[in-house]
Amino acid sequence: MTDGSGSRSDGARGGGQAPELTVRGTGPAAPTIAGLTAGGGALLVFVSEHCPTSALALRRLGPLCQSWALAGLAAIAVFEDPLDVAIRTARRLGWTGQVAAQEPPYPASRTYQVATVPTTVLVGRDRLVAGTVTGWDQRALTGLLGEAGTLLGAELAAPPGADPLSKPGCSSKAAIDPDLAAAMSGLDGGDELEEMFERGWTDGLPVIPPTAERVAAMLGGRDGGATLGLVPPAMGEATLERVAACAVLAGCRPAYFPVVAAAARAVLDPAFNLHGQAVTTQPAGQLVVVNGPVREAIGLNSGMGALGPGFRANLTIGRAVRLLVTLTGGAMPGAMDRATLGHMGKLGFCVAEDEEVSPWEPLHVERGFEACQSVVTVIGSDAPLSISDHRSRTPEDLAYILAWAAASAWSTNWWPLAEPSVFVICPEHAQMFRGAGWTKDRLREFMFDAVHKPAGQLRRGETTPLVHAAAPDAQVPKWASPEAIVLLVAGGEAGRYSAVLGPCTGMGSQIVSREVT
Amino acid sequence: MAADYVSPFDERVRAAEPLAPRPASVQGQRVVLLDIRKNRGAEFLDRVESLLRAAGASPARFTKEIFSKPAALSLIDEIASSGGLVVEALAD
Repeated sequence: MTDGSGSRSDGARGGGQAPELTVRGTGPAAPTIAGLTAGGGALLVFVSEHCPTSALALRRLGPLCQSWALAGLAAIAVFEDPLDVAIRTARRLGWTGQVAAQEPPYPASRTYQVATVPTTVLVGRDRLVAGTVTGWDQRALTGLLGEAGTLLGAELAAPPGADPLSKPGCSSKAAIDPDLAAAMSGLDGGDELEEMFERGWTDGLPVIPPTAERVAAMLGGRDGGATLGLVPPAMGEATLERVAACAVLAGCRPAYFPVVAAAARAVLDPAFNLHGQAVTTQPAGQLVVVNGPVREAIGLNSGMGALGPGFRANLTIGRAVRLLVTLTGGAMPGAMDRATLGHMGKLGFCVAEDEEVSPWEPLHVERGFEACQSVVTVIGSDAPLSISDHRSRTPEDLAYILAWAAASAWSTNWWPLAEPSVFVICPEHAQMFRGAGWTKDRLREFMFDAVHKPAGQLRRGETTPLVHAAAPDAQVPKWASPEAIVLLVAGGEAGRYSAVLGPCTGMGSQIVSREVT
Repeated sequence: MAADYVSPFDERVRAAEPLAPRPASVQGQRVVLLDIRKNRGAEFLDRVESLLRAAGASPARFTKEIFSKPAALSLIDEIASSGGLVVEALAD
């Protein structure tokens, strides 16, 4: 599917009037030749997402577009792909010029007689085609930019003379059979699940295609245009429709959507500092804790395997929240999400508290809600560390074991932690505290008091300014206050395994709760 | 027929702002340095500040609330309205 041109051609397409572009741009008004050449000239780069030579051209020319724009040359990548594919491809490849898209039968490519992508067309202020280069040809493109510089009376940066200096292009979709072109576009007759990957609408796992019908069912009559705010880091707008699209992609049933929407509201609260969490090198994900009657109504699991696989509601609600951050918010792992390691909970992490087994008031009641309310609470959290204790015979011993398991949360000598460590207490452990009449506060205070060390023992490797400032024998606690210890109850009725989830640290991220409405 | 999908992306693209004109020299220019509060960032800025002073510039230091959050709009306004040049640096 390649052609061997890779060379400059000033023939039939040079010197003639540049046809009007029939494309969709990224702004409210479609790009026009008049608008593009208003500054002095335009460089039209016809490309296709599937074409490696197009990718090469976008990567090599992309960084230069801004300097050309300052000199009056507007560069626009004209894709033979849907607009969202075009935008993402351009972003990924570092294209800093404008972006436009055309759909079958690719009218812009046809009117410009583009048989090969990439094809680069220089248009002057007089709207005449001043030159054309097909494929990737560094020398010909340098010459074309020299001509552009002459037109503009400026010196324009040329692409670097790095290998490959030339590379054949690929067939333009406009130059092949329309049925085949439509099939290649992935919009007709293709594998729907594969298309989701091609569009980038995924977290790396297969997703449910968000058809208009499925999204409408997810919305259940709610106003899809309503906005919940901007999702960092790219500040994409979380319309309810986009949140619903993420819920469909994640595999949610419509019955789950009120929980997803409440979680979305919670993570978008500035106090949660999603901005920092989404881009950090830390592993932190967004833990979603659900309390209240909605747990049973939608089948959330708070029993056996509460932190693991097997339950659609838990897995898909957490996943929907993460897809919102990743797709609408633009926090793609390896791109704006800079996590060094990440953890599997970043695919989605939704836990329901077993309020019926718990000896204590549930988390949402602690946070000021009524027990009868359904509430979502979000916490920036690390991966869970399991804590086995089958031997303790007193609540004091058990509390000691639980608390010291968290001594290395965040980092071995980083004491004290201001941010929350979340302890998921299993039913058998909870039963020991119930039998001894321990309240939640008593357990929390005991755990807080139990874990401390002399500052002198913490002065090795990464530690805190507080440790450095303290006298060597001054006792430093693991947590800044008992309130940094969050207690939940969940898990199977048999087995004495609780868990602790370390914090997202140093960001001022607060725990945020929202009622499910 | 092509399926009608609802995109999870916000497909609006903000227009790229052109770069401000670059001064030929920093001599006599007020240059704002924003400390984002990343660990040891101030030490780096101390060095940049001394180099700028040696080049005849008048550095001015501002500080963000915390590195992991966007700068407050009031701080951005204050910097923008104070004139001169800004060196915007990222962490790590």
